[in-house]
Amino acid sequence: MAPNSLTFPPMTTATLEKQPAAPAPSPAASALPPARPGQSKSNTLLIGLDLGTNKSCILAGPPGSTDITVSKVIPSVVGYVKDGIVDGIITGNARILYGEDALSQMLHVELVAPLAEGVISRPEAARDFMLHLRQLADPSGKAEIRAVVGVPANAGEPARVGIRHSAQGIFSRILLIPEPFLAALGFRDDARVRQSGYVDPVVNSLFIDIGGGTSDLCLVQGYFPTRDDQISIPFAGDAIDELLYNELGRTYPNNGLSRITVREIKEAHAYVGPSRKPMDIKVVIGGKSRTLELGDAIGSACNTLIDRIYPALTTLISSASSDSVVTLLQNIIVTGGGSQIRGIDTVLQKRLADDGYESPKVRLAGQDFQRYVAIGALKAARAARENQWQVLLE
Amino acid sequence: MYRRICFLRSEGLSEEAQLVQGTEFAEAAARARSLCPTGPAADSLLRELMAEEEERVAQAVAFAEVLVPMLARRLPLRPSAPHAGPPETRARPRVGPGEARGVADFIDDMLAQDRLASR
Repeated sequence: MAPNSLTFPPMTTATLEKQPAAPAPSPAASALPPARPGQSKSNTLLIGLDLGTNKSCILAGPPGSTDITVSKVIPSVVGYVKDGIVDGIITGNARILYGEDALSQMLHVELVAPLAEGVISRPEAARDFMLHLRQLADPSGKAEIRAVVGVPANAGEPARVGIRHSAQGIFSRILLIPEPFLAALGFRDDARVRQSGYVDPVVNSLFIDIGGGTSDLCLVQGYFPTRDDQISIPFAGDAIDELLYNELGRTYPNNGLSRITVREIKEAHAYVGPSRKPMDIKVVIGGKSRTLELGDAIGSACNTLIDRIYPALTTLISSASSDSVVTLLQNIIVTGGGSQIRGIDTVLQKRLADDGYESPKVRLAGQDFQRYVAIGALKAARAARENQWQVLLE
Repeated sequence: MYRRICFLRSEGLSEEAQLVQGTEFAEAAARARSLCPTGPAADSLLRELMAEEEERVAQAVAFAEVLVPMLARRLPLRPSAPHAGPPETRARPRVGPGEARGVADFIDDMLAQDRLASR
């Protein structure tokens, strides 16, 4: 299934791409001319941005078309090169690295995550990260950039102000839209909306977007979701990592495994449902290869996620009208990184069925799970009316 | 310029409003003061202008609040937007598959909700 009608260039099929060019040699802020809202429309570039706690996705394209000129998923991390690093160690002697480049040089940089629990927690790093995203989208630095940025469901004003401040002087105009709604918009197959038999996710669906910092649930029923239709839970991928990290520390004291390694283990083996034992996982500890049995530890950490999101799921279902709820139960969609947890769809579906819900059907968004929010954001950018954009004052 | 500040405040963007007031507006006010023979007279004139703009923006916002629901009621082909009433009494618009709304309409709904929430 192709859940959207946007055109992807062939080079963008990989879910994670390295930056083709060396990063800016100095703080990127000085490398760009200021954004100028008054520039001509022909020089406008639209951006759909999913600013995630662990990974961000950026799509860019011109207005008035379905072309996508840039499509990248980038780890949300900025690496500030430590003092005293010998010339030539870092490509181009850059002072700041981003995403995969920063992670690959973690010995030589101070890694800073700009976001925590879905909102900006390190404004300076967030600003540097956004400058980098802008450079990826518009290497010339000459376009007027208008960005639709996803925010967690029910994000408060401080979170929104944080994004706007970080984006000032980088983007000319901005529009902040809750992520689960953007996911529904991104998942929608525009070419099939008018076909009979196509269940438009924007008309009646329930989206569960499990990211790094938050799990966002959203009832989408043909109107823009109200605050009552959205629930954001500060428990998602990072919280599972933390549980797993602590459990490994208890079971295998002094194991020396870093949080990044624990996350990699989780991403490779995460599951929910009944215990899958034995789950022998090979790791390197102190330079020696060891096999750890992690079936219970991983299952227990991931099942906590189910326990946290299930009450929110049933709360939203109970708020749907009686004439829409049966169809709604057929259209529960899990997206975001959490959709990669094995069995999450079947476990949620079984739990709903066991609780007496009428023929529930929970499905996974699919292989573009990292991109739906950004796809939706770019669609929103292309559809936004002139007066809907918020001008960012310089 | 002060009208823009008032509009920013009415949109709940008080930090942005403060930013403009502290920079562009402060500079313009200083320039205006320097052109005026007496300081108190300049301050009084400035206060008057600011009060006038605040009143004008408040009236425009109030007018829009009355006009928007009125238009929504009188345009039967368009489903009524959620901003047609206060949030606690707002009925969710029913939209069937045959009357799919445009993405811009959703954004309008969202902005209306944001405005209500910021009051």
